[in-house]
Amino acid sequence: MASLSIQNVKKSYGAIEVLKGIDLDLEDGEFLVLLGPSGCGKSTLLNMIAGLDTITDGEILIDQNVVNDVHPKDRDIAMVFQSYALYPNMSVARNIGFGLEMRKVTKEDREKRVDEAARMLQIDHLSDRKPAQLSGGQRQRVAMGRALVRDPEIFLFDEPLSNLDAKLRVEMRTEIKKLHQRLGTTMVYVTHDQIEAMTLASRIAILREGEVQQFASPQEVYEKPANMYVAGFVGSPPMNFVPAAVVSEGGKLGVSIERTANGNRSSVFLALPNDRQDIGDWVGRNVILGIRPETLTHRSDAEISLNKGLQAFDCQVEVLEPTGADTLTYIELGGREVIARVNPYNTTEPGETMAFMVDMGKASLFDPKTELRI
Amino acid sequence: MADLSALPGGKSPWQSAARFGLYTLLLIFAAYYILPLIVVLSTSLKDLDEIRNGTLLSLPSEINFDAWGYAWNEACIGVSCTGLKPYFWNSVAMTIPAVLISTLLGALTGYSLTKFKFKGANLIFAMILFGCFIPFQVVLLPMAQSLGYLRIANTVPGLVLVHIVYGLPFTVLFFRNYYVNIPDDLIKAATIDGAGFFMIFWRIMLPLSPPIIVVTIIWQFTQIWNDFLFGASFTTGGGQPVTVALNNLVNTTTGVKRYNVDMAAALITAAPTLVVYVLAGRYFVRGLTAGSVKG
Repeated sequence: MASLSIQNVKKSYGAIEVLKGIDLDLEDGEFLVLLGPSGCGKSTLLNMIAGLDTITDGEILIDQNVVNDVHPKDRDIAMVFQSYALYPNMSVARNIGFGLEMRKVTKEDREKRVDEAARMLQIDHLSDRKPAQLSGGQRQRVAMGRALVRDPEIFLFDEPLSNLDAKLRVEMRTEIKKLHQRLGTTMVYVTHDQIEAMTLASRIAILREGEVQQFASPQEVYEKPANMYVAGFVGSPPMNFVPAAVVSEGGKLGVSIERTANGNRSSVFLALPNDRQDIGDWVGRNVILGIRPETLTHRSDAEISLNKGLQAFDCQVEVLEPTGADTLTYIELGGREVIARVNPYNTTEPGETMAFMVDMGKASLFDPKTELRI
Repeated sequence: MADLSALPGGKSPWQSAARFGLYTLLLIFAAYYILPLIVVLSTSLKDLDEIRNGTLLSLPSEINFDAWGYAWNEACIGVSCTGLKPYFWNSVAMTIPAVLISTLLGALTGYSLTKFKFKGANLIFAMILFGCFIPFQVVLLPMAQSLGYLRIANTVPGLVLVHIVYGLPFTVLFFRNYYVNIPDDLIKAATIDGAGFFMIFWRIMLPLSPPIIVVTIIWQFTQIWNDFLFGASFTTGGGQPVTVALNNLVNTTTGVKRYNVDMAAALITAAPTLVVYVLAGRYFVRGLTAGSVKG
């Protein structure tokens, strides 16, 4: 187990700057997920932690030791690849034991540890097979076994689940989570799948074009996204963005939004809770209101009386998309399409007007110019 | 693979006629191509009387290996009447090390050009590739000079060196194109596991290479064994490879022309490449198409 510190790390290929100064600090035993779309530099960063790519500028420290010039084999890390990267010519047991063999571990000791790792991953019955004779899930387990058997300071995962089918992916995700809970080893995991990031991480770093957008716990990333990019990337369906004007009405600050109800186009005032009264400077200016679909639902007076953040309004329904548990209800607010999660038994026909409520206590406000959270 | 001829609706009289015509044509061409081999083989098994009195196409009345023995042990090549034997062993001593060394160097070079990419690797590969297109005649004089400086002119090791140098562009091309399809992740994984350059080569790359090794060996063996130009240019007398000796054997006329001996000598000279191809031919086709279809 080890702490990991990435300090102002940069990477350039010629004139192209792939990573523009990354700062991340990881405690011992944490599970860091690097989340971002393809080409954001997350795999490059992982390769640099592994030592498979050189660092243009900045420092990477494992357990307070700068490892910039340390060879990958001496960093005490293990890596699981997206393609599994199993040696096709070796049996499962030899694949798992190769790292130990290279480190001149004695045969008996090696066999014992390979056996242990194989049993832990439930692949002990496959030890004589070649990788070509295994299914995708089994190959994934062997790749994990190869990392596990070395008992490294840090595990690195490079999109390990993206070659698996949907069902297996969920299973293996849980498996990795269990593994982390059991071993307590520091892990760094690269993915473009926000659900994997949310479920696995103790902290998420969201990358975009070589820059960290936000580095926080999954819950904070979800509830308090640092900017509109993060807000749009995390969550499914994504956060709704509504253009709104900040106004003061009856001594309360709130936002004014255009919408259609009962055939009339008019503005509705949604008051912000008292702890958001810090945005006095913004009165009279436009902002972007960010609303998660699950905080926007059908009106319930009982709940409104309990939660002061809930604000009610009417709006015309455009489209309904039943998912079973909830019905995704499409409405139009401020000229933008907005999704609300509504109980299937409280929906209205498309074209009719329905009563909604929105939890303004969980709403986010963004500056339309900088796209940063206010 | 689906059998296209077994698809339904393909049995009309016209199609049968077309099929008949197709096979007739194929048989004619097959006969055309096999005929020279049959003539050479049957002539080598006749005695001189039968050759003189019979026709070219008639089969030998009795199988007679005298001409083969004569070609191997007694035939005169120039002034020395030793048969092909010493020259055949010259060729073996030249071909085997040249094939093995050029294959191994090709594998190592292909490996470093793809998996340990350095600045300018592609340029170097392009320059090596350029070697495939240099006609051998162009390099005869500079090579002769180099062999002279190295004091290995007119020796088998000299020929080995020449063939290694001019075989490398092809072996590098084969291995480089094969290795470029092996995922880089394998090398990364092995690096993290603690294996170095040569360890990865021996333990991971070479075990994955049999198809391309076979292709390279067949290619190099055929090229080097069949070479005449370098052999004729850089050796004289006892150091000659069998191809040059065969030429001299056929051109040496003392008394009567022994066609059966000429034919037997030609077959002896051609035999090793045929044997290599028959033994490893199926890997050859497999290796050349490897990677073209995912599987």
